[in-house]
Amino acid sequence: MANIELLILFLAGSALISYVLTRFNANIGSFFTIFVTMFVFVSLAGFGFAMNLDTTVNYLPGFTFSQSYLGFYFVIIITFVYLMVSFFHPYFINKFKYRSSYNFLFLLSLAGIIGAFYTNNFLQLFFFFELVIWTTMFLIPQGKSREAAVSYFGFSLAGSVALLLGIFMIFSQTGTFDINAGLAGLSGTTSVIVFILFLIAAFAKLGAFPLHIWLPIAHGNAPHPFSPVLSGALVKLGAFIAIFALIKIAPNTQTIGVLDLPLGHYMVALLGGLSIIFGTLMAIKEDDAKKLLAYSSMSHGGYILVAFSLMNGLAFAGGLYHILAHALASAGAFMAIAAVARVTGTTKMKEMGGMIHKMPITYLAYLIAIISMAGIPPMGGFISKWIIFQAVIDKGLIFVGIAVFFGSIGSFLYVFRPLAALFLGQELTEYKHVKEAPILMLIPTFIIMGLNIYTGVFPAKILDFINKIIVEVGYVPISVSTYAITGANDSILNPGLISLVFGIGVLIAFIIFILLKKSRKVELMDTYTAANFVHDEHLLHYTTDFYAPLERLYEKQSNWMTLFYQALAQKVKDLGSFCKYLFMSNHIGRTLLWIMLIIIALLWGEAL
Amino acid sequence: MILNLLLGVGIALFGFVLQTSLAGVNRKIIGRLQKRHGPKWYQEFIDIFKLLSKRSVTHGWIFDFGVIMALGGIIGTAMFMPLTTSFLAFETFDNFFIFVYLIAVGMLGMAMSASGSGNPWASIGVMRALTTMLAYEVPFLVVILTIIKLADSSSLTQIALYQQMAGNNWFIIALPLGGIVAVLALMGMLGKKPFETYIAPAEIASGPMVEYGGKQLGMLFIMHEITVFIEVSLFVHLFLGGASNIFIFLIKYAVVYTFVNLISNVNGRFKIDQVVLFFYKWPLLMAVVQAIIAIYFGWVI
Amino acid sequence: MKSTKFTPASKLSKAEIDRKWWEVGDFFRRNSLWMLMYCTGCCAIELPPAMTSAYDMERLGMGPMATPRQADILLVSGYLSLKTLRRLIYTYEQMSEPRYVVALGSCPINGGIYHDSHAVINKLDQYIPVDVYVAGCMPNTESVMNGFVDLMDQIKRKTAVGWKKYHENNAWYKENQKTSLGEVVVHDEFHE
Repeated sequence: MANIELLILFLAGSALISYVLTRFNANIGSFFTIFVTMFVFVSLAGFGFAMNLDTTVNYLPGFTFSQSYLGFYFVIIITFVYLMVSFFHPYFINKFKYRSSYNFLFLLSLAGIIGAFYTNNFLQLFFFFELVIWTTMFLIPQGKSREAAVSYFGFSLAGSVALLLGIFMIFSQTGTFDINAGLAGLSGTTSVIVFILFLIAAFAKLGAFPLHIWLPIAHGNAPHPFSPVLSGALVKLGAFIAIFALIKIAPNTQTIGVLDLPLGHYMVALLGGLSIIFGTLMAIKEDDAKKLLAYSSMSHGGYILVAFSLMNGLAFAGGLYHILAHALASAGAFMAIAAVARVTGTTKMKEMGGMIHKMPITYLAYLIAIISMAGIPPMGGFISKWIIFQAVIDKGLIFVGIAVFFGSIGSFLYVFRPLAALFLGQELTEYKHVKEAPILMLIPTFIIMGLNIYTGVFPAKILDFINKIIVEVGYVPISVSTYAITGANDSILNPGLISLVFGIGVLIAFIIFILLKKSRKVELMDTYTAANFVHDEHLLHYTTDFYAPLERLYEKQSNWMTLFYQALAQKVKDLGSFCKYLFMSNHIGRTLLWIMLIIIALLWGEAL
Repeated sequence: MILNLLLGVGIALFGFVLQTSLAGVNRKIIGRLQKRHGPKWYQEFIDIFKLLSKRSVTHGWIFDFGVIMALGGIIGTAMFMPLTTSFLAFETFDNFFIFVYLIAVGMLGMAMSASGSGNPWASIGVMRALTTMLAYEVPFLVVILTIIKLADSSSLTQIALYQQMAGNNWFIIALPLGGIVAVLALMGMLGKKPFETYIAPAEIASGPMVEYGGKQLGMLFIMHEITVFIEVSLFVHLFLGGASNIFIFLIKYAVVYTFVNLISNVNGRFKIDQVVLFFYKWPLLMAVVQAIIAIYFGWVI
Repeated sequence: MKSTKFTPASKLSKAEIDRKWWEVGDFFRRNSLWMLMYCTGCCAIELPPAMTSAYDMERLGMGPMATPRQADILLVSGYLSLKTLRRLIYTYEQMSEPRYVVALGSCPINGGIYHDSHAVINKLDQYIPVDVYVAGCMPNTESVMNGFVDLMDQIKRKTAVGWKKYHENNAWYKENQKTSLGEVVVHDEFHE
């Protein structure tokens, strides 16, 4: 029987041990990290599914824990991503400047995650959130850039302040810090304000439309093995807060009649739609593979917001399934890019090409991950997108529908770009010596590949578990049988059948292919060049400005948000220098002025 | 179950034969339009079998694997396609989204294989194909959203039955604006003339097809014919009331394909950014207006 | 009188089966000839009437194609200089087999009006095998069409075997190419 408190303490203790071990030898420390995360994952998976964890508290005064299906769903996904990524550490740890603190902070942030999802008290929730944010803030600058951490911390701070303010509002109305009692006791205008505050926190963490600037900067510049955690796991904290706001608080704002949806929820759905469109357009434009995937995370965050704001069991199930599908897909894609970046030393797509010939397994991992990310059967992403589509159509939301469809088709464009530019195309001379990733890095790759397919072919078990969560939050569960999922509008999906039929199609095509005359193998450079002799691979490799004709259509608009935030930052800076001018000066007169003003204020304060 | 699967393979084969013959007939019709004799009506079959009989070149495993995945994905999609409202391989599982997304597996396979050939023109062709897809799919899907909402079902046969019920019109009449959008989107899907930017033989040497010859090209031709079968059949079921028996299906199918082909042959070719701008201007606006009128006001003819 | 006993059908040898399939394939190949046009001379002007409504090449199943990989016929018209011959050989070697070459006009036969230039190749079939010549300077469209029908006839009679000759006498062709051009694969002229 595993105890949550002991797990957290164990992680904190192991963090210290790993610090010492890594100091001693980086590899030993990394392997220790793998075993610790594996132990935590196994004990959570072993007892958590049946809600058998021990919640008693003996050593941490003032802390209380409780378990719910919802919390467990999040915690198991995130811990899984942590476990998968930890396998990458031995190969990357030597590239970091502060090796020992990397492992230390990695384990400590996992402790924060477990605490955040198992607590039943708002203040503890805030504490664990901050633990996660602070630890990850020190992890990010070990990658390429220090500014990334500043941007990440700035937006997280905005979210945290909003969260804390919301918590105090709840306390002032209901007088309790207990999560369930506090959310249930909200009413009237306070509930609307808390709704908005919590949503700000959720948007900041999820990287949704107005608060998304940090996402590409942080994901793109984070250490390669940490990007999968950021995108696959940590942004999901935002989804957790969004559930509080959209489903547990759900204030009675004015209802839009034709849509049968409160105004507040409709606005959130629209903002989610904007996230989808914005993320898609920016991802299409991006040249850095990791930033491209970061923008795709933003667009997927939009899907999750849309799903949660539709207020019914079907959409909620779609959103929850999307969290799982995107965590797996995005972790798989980021890990493939990390494996490539390890041997090439870059993530810029225009500097790479033809990696498939040397890294075929990494290529397959990326391929399967993007098939899921683009929502194509037979992978997990298709199931969740299908459910979300059904829910959106059932509500008749046209504008959200446009965004959802746009994002789904647009995702074909942006996920294909790294595939074409980085893995396919001409094999560049400078990468002809590289080798496939080592076996320890391929283990998590294979596991994630398998799970991406499993979630797409046999979703019934997972949807059964999601149904438990739906019942827990008080919606009507969706009907799932072993082979079929029933959505709105009498629609039935049979994922197993789709995969079977696809398999048969491929089999037929394979038989046709094998029966016909064998082809003659030619070199990649022996291509049609209108009979010109080109001897340089770089000239025959089309990567730069891949979607140039499309990008031209919105290149003027594409930096509006960046300009807005730059202008905002400038204003804050101006304000700061104005204050500095007033307070921090050597001029004696100004100091005297302030002293006098304060004395006057103090004297008059009595009178007022 | 085995019987159903066999039936599905049969439907895919039927679709291939039907569309290949019809494509040949259409080549003849176009020939007559241009005061030529035109080829034999079975010319397309000859072309495909000739390609399958030639000895081709390959650029590595991804080049071949992509072709297999493309043809396999498309055969798989065609297996779900209903021919009439009662004649289909997998009853109740003919969900609309399966067609849109399972077809994408085939497209992805082809794109992968084309990029795997290492020819920059192939990548440019794929880029244009994907961009065109982004252009036509969004207005089309908005119209489909309206239809699914009205018919209260996303199964193709149910939508067809809804139109056949007394008192209901075909959706191309009931939703006139949406019907126009759907015809335009169909032309984009089929790669017909104003939107055939991604093939453009004289400009980018037939785009994705540039490195194919022999059996790979033959398999892609088969894939193309089945894709056209899927897309035109989708249109027949969604907008023309489906078919209660196979002859009506054949007639509607032939009329739609020939009509689109005729329009296509009096057009020039758009540039790729013109395609995007075109679809995001009038068709999208019309689709949205149609959706608002039909869903929120309930004005359906 | 026939025996009532069951007599097994005489087994066809592998070579015979291959030959039968090849004959089936020949039917398809001669009825669907796709061309890659390599036009550097004035004969190219005869092709538009051959393709459009006057002579309508498509009724024979023929048509232009974009790349050598897709094409069956390499149509060479006009004179060949040292520079273009290199490219012609490169293109020919990129085509899928079986491949045929049709030479149009007198330039590929004997150099035509530029036969005495220092840069012009006079006899094309020294470098790649030619299946059909259409003589004339320039040949009219009927003879062009006639040439194509001749090629179809040759495929039927299995005499269009230029591509096999190229394999069998590869050393000879390569040597001729080398003598005239130096190296066949030259360096990148535009990007160095």
